[in-house]
Amino acid sequence: MRITRTVAGRRRRAAVMATTGLTATALLLTGCSDSDSDSGEADANGNITLTVADFGQFGYKEAGLFAKYHELHPNITVKENTTAEEKVYYPKFLQQLNTGSGLADVQGIEVGRIKELVDTKADAFVDLAKVVDTDQWVNWKALQASTDEGKVIGAGTDIGPMSICYRRDLFEQAGLPADREAVAAKVAGGWEDYLKLGEEYKKKAPAGTFFMDSASAMYNGVVSSDSEQYYSKDGKPIYKESAGVKAGWNLAAEAVDKKLTQGLAQFSPPWQAALRKGSIATVACPAWMAAQISTYAGDAFKGKWDIARTPGETAANWGGSFLSVPAKGKHVKEAGELVKWLTAPEQQAAVFKAVGVFPSNKGAYELADVKGAKLEYFNNAPIGEIYAQEAQVIPAAVLGPKDGIIKDSISTQINNMEQRGTKPDKAWDDAVEAIDKVIG
Amino acid sequence: MATTTPTRGAHGSRPSRRAPKPMTPARQAWRSRLWRFDDKASPYAYIAPFFLVFGAFGLYPLIYTGWIALHRVEMTGLDQMEWVGWANFSTILQDSEFWTAVTNTFVIGVISTVPQLMMALGLAHLLNYKLRASTFWRTVILTPYATSVASAALVFALVFRADGGLLNWVLSFFGAGETNWVNGHWTSNIAIAVIVIWRWTGYNTLIYLAAMQAVPSDLYEAASIDGASRWQQFRNVTIPALRPTILFTIVISTIGSMQLFGEPLLLEGGVNGAQGGTEHQYETLSIYLYNYGWNLGHLGPAAAVAWAMLVLLLLIAAINWLIGRYARKTAA
Amino acid sequence: MTTTSTVTTPDRRGVSKTVVRPGEPPRRARFRPGAGRQHHAGPFAYVALAVVGLGSLFPLYWTLVTASRTQDEVLDTPPPLLPGGKLFDNLEAAWEQAHLGTAILNTFIVSCCITAATLFFCTLAGYAFAKMRFKGRGVLMTMVIATLTIPPQLSVVPLFMMMSDIGWGGQLESVIFPTLVSAFGVFFMRQYLLEALPYELIEAGRMDGANNLRIVRSIVLPVARPAMMVLGMLTFVQTWNDFFWPYLALNQENPTLQVALGQLSASYVPDQSIIMAGALISTVPLLVVFVIFGKQIVGGIMAGAVKG
Repeated sequence: MRITRTVAGRRRRAAVMATTGLTATALLLTGCSDSDSDSGEADANGNITLTVADFGQFGYKEAGLFAKYHELHPNITVKENTTAEEKVYYPKFLQQLNTGSGLADVQGIEVGRIKELVDTKADAFVDLAKVVDTDQWVNWKALQASTDEGKVIGAGTDIGPMSICYRRDLFEQAGLPADREAVAAKVAGGWEDYLKLGEEYKKKAPAGTFFMDSASAMYNGVVSSDSEQYYSKDGKPIYKESAGVKAGWNLAAEAVDKKLTQGLAQFSPPWQAALRKGSIATVACPAWMAAQISTYAGDAFKGKWDIARTPGETAANWGGSFLSVPAKGKHVKEAGELVKWLTAPEQQAAVFKAVGVFPSNKGAYELADVKGAKLEYFNNAPIGEIYAQEAQVIPAAVLGPKDGIIKDSISTQINNMEQRGTKPDKAWDDAVEAIDKVIG
Repeated sequence: MATTTPTRGAHGSRPSRRAPKPMTPARQAWRSRLWRFDDKASPYAYIAPFFLVFGAFGLYPLIYTGWIALHRVEMTGLDQMEWVGWANFSTILQDSEFWTAVTNTFVIGVISTVPQLMMALGLAHLLNYKLRASTFWRTVILTPYATSVASAALVFALVFRADGGLLNWVLSFFGAGETNWVNGHWTSNIAIAVIVIWRWTGYNTLIYLAAMQAVPSDLYEAASIDGASRWQQFRNVTIPALRPTILFTIVISTIGSMQLFGEPLLLEGGVNGAQGGTEHQYETLSIYLYNYGWNLGHLGPAAAVAWAMLVLLLLIAAINWLIGRYARKTAA
Repeated sequence: MTTTSTVTTPDRRGVSKTVVRPGEPPRRARFRPGAGRQHHAGPFAYVALAVVGLGSLFPLYWTLVTASRTQDEVLDTPPPLLPGGKLFDNLEAAWEQAHLGTAILNTFIVSCCITAATLFFCTLAGYAFAKMRFKGRGVLMTMVIATLTIPPQLSVVPLFMMMSDIGWGGQLESVIFPTLVSAFGVFFMRQYLLEALPYELIEAGRMDGANNLRIVRSIVLPVARPAMMVLGMLTFVQTWNDFFWPYLALNQENPTLQVALGQLSASYVPDQSIIMAGALISTVPLLVVFVIFGKQIVGGIMAGAVKG
């Protein structure tokens, strides 16, 4: 008995020590990890890392702006976390705002979400009205990010004036005019003309190619030209009656019916793959879309793409984003300075020049970089000229808190018509059901 | 179990290591009170951590879920709760997507559990033979258990890919291979079931194997004296002896399939995964809950879904119990 | 009772092994499992096992293949079946894009904390349920077993709100604390100690004047050690791979490996081979554990199963 006891005693001590040691180490490590050592406090030399979380293509890296900022402020390094799909980005962002943890110093916000954040989460953001001069922006853009009390939670980055991106080489092979003025002339009558052009294309389409990526892109193009889209001015959801939604939906259904689309959910991996393989002839193209196309289509199609004016006479804006500074960030002041710099005319112009994301800062429109901008990837399309005219006359759209997700729900159902042969009526009912669930 | 707890230090039968000091009667009474308290309180102290943690992070949230289900709570304002009564329940019960999720959960549960357990039974039977390197074989078939849901789902996502997927390539040799697995209702459910089967067959095999090894050998001897073939022995001796174990694995697998989340989430990934496919063709209840609460941002209905799951679990438990009782009756 | 070497009755420790408890029928005679009928496996059995074994291992092998190729090669027809030379590029890309360094550290912290706590608390509770007599024991044990059947899905909504409320939102604490104990662990330790811990040992300890805490330290813990090892490994594997609640609770800035992996595929990179490199990183540590302790884990699962 006694022997057992001493042996056991030694073992016991070892076990207890091991357990205690493990727990202590673990708790200690937990303590350390809370302060998030890699992006947290400034080191001895005052060097800090600012994180920027965004989605899609903001174009800062492509324009070399983060590197330039580091040159200007040697103690600051900027790190970018990009999520491909905004629909994936936003729910996580919202969650982080709730918990106040995991937020980057600067967070991007898409226009479809800004209203919800202004309404419900304004407290979680730094008031940028104190940092940037909001008068610089296109008027409606600044208003979108302002609360009733005048607090501004986001500084506008870009807006999305519409155009048509198309493949010159495919158009030629299909016996269509490839010149951008001629293409614009063909669709001058509006989106119905765009569909007609599609039918012409389809008659002699090169094997394995499709006129458009997805009818949902066209749908969004159509809706974007309305000032009242999903919500009325007094904040009621009106998507069921909205004329723009109806027109867009019917055109989309028609495009599906005539088999003019490849039926790819935009921004999804198959969509990216299709661009890389070059099976898409046209994309309804807000300015920022050009950046996506050149990224995913890659060098193989450089110079084969081109950009023509949007169908019809009405100016339209689809998308566009803001940069915000969450109040719980680690370097609120430095982040505000970074946002101010990134959204200043010169930098917006640089991004525009690099990837075609169009400035929302009016000051940029006067710069030669914008006025005379040509996108090399798109056969030197004079995008400055194409977009700038349009940007000046875009109507101020009424925003609603759930714009983004309503738009996504409708796009999903358009994809279902394309991919799964869902009948338009059923798809619309499904969309209504999904949206009512969203609005809750 | 009928032993009485021995009194400590009784009879002074053996001197403790430290020589006992003479004690005053008062001191002795104090000590014995202390001992009695020690005996009474210790068991509760030992089980307390479990019940405290379970109470705080299991039971309380479970009940609170029911309370939240009667409110409107938004991800955009977690601190505001607005009473809505049964509205959330009627919302989800009238939602066709909810029933799609119930159906999918059920279908995937069946088509993953049944083949999985049958395969496990067969494999356990094989492993129960005298084998060379038996530990090696056991470890190999258990390896998938060490793979996380996420890794498994991701590699199978590549296998089931429509365009350039491994499976479609293999099938192309047999003149098939044009299947868009994630798009179809059945095909996507099968794909998810395959992931589940891959990960859990080995685990269940070992459980069956252990149960088989516990079957008394005289039963087999008696059977072989009666001239029963190996197959007859398997059917008439092994299976009946394993009945409780089989029931146990069915219960565990059922609960497991109610929880399917990572597999459907990552099979396609992105936004489609988060809503169980563009037409919810492979949406499970867990995905539905997640999508409602974390993507759409309505926590009230999400809580209602949780309670609906609880009801379903209780239903399944009741059915299991009835079947078990019926099986025992017929066996008797 | 069992064929495995890990879970032994304490007879190896030199303690008398014929423990007859008063009032209990004598134990069934020991038998060699399946003795007398254990036929040698025929070639068919080996072939079948080999096929299943290949099926079990192939996805893991293919993870390595896809993690060492470029995206285009992976999606090519026919798909590659041999590893390529891009492994380190992909690992590096995955490492950079998904905070994998933080993720590995976090996963390690979470798994160690939970394993240590589970072992400690579950052994205590298991001992109490197995060998101590107290009011409400039966009811409480039934409650423990009942909690086994409650999936985490049922409580995530309030849990999420609670965690945000007390400031643990997105922190490792929110993942660690709810799983500090496990009903399975209590049950497992109870079943083991029921058999492995003779009353005589406890009795002898009491005779020596040891109080309850002391009995736990010098008698129960040493006896429980083999089972604790098994439980520890099972808990570690489970925690390492836990997905649902961590995915909801944590974010990409401070993830565990599984969360990082989920987010890698949900959003960060569309490049499949980088995602698979992430999957490889998250799987390899456990595979190593498996290669070293495979025998013990197999034995543990089987031992737990017989008694359950």
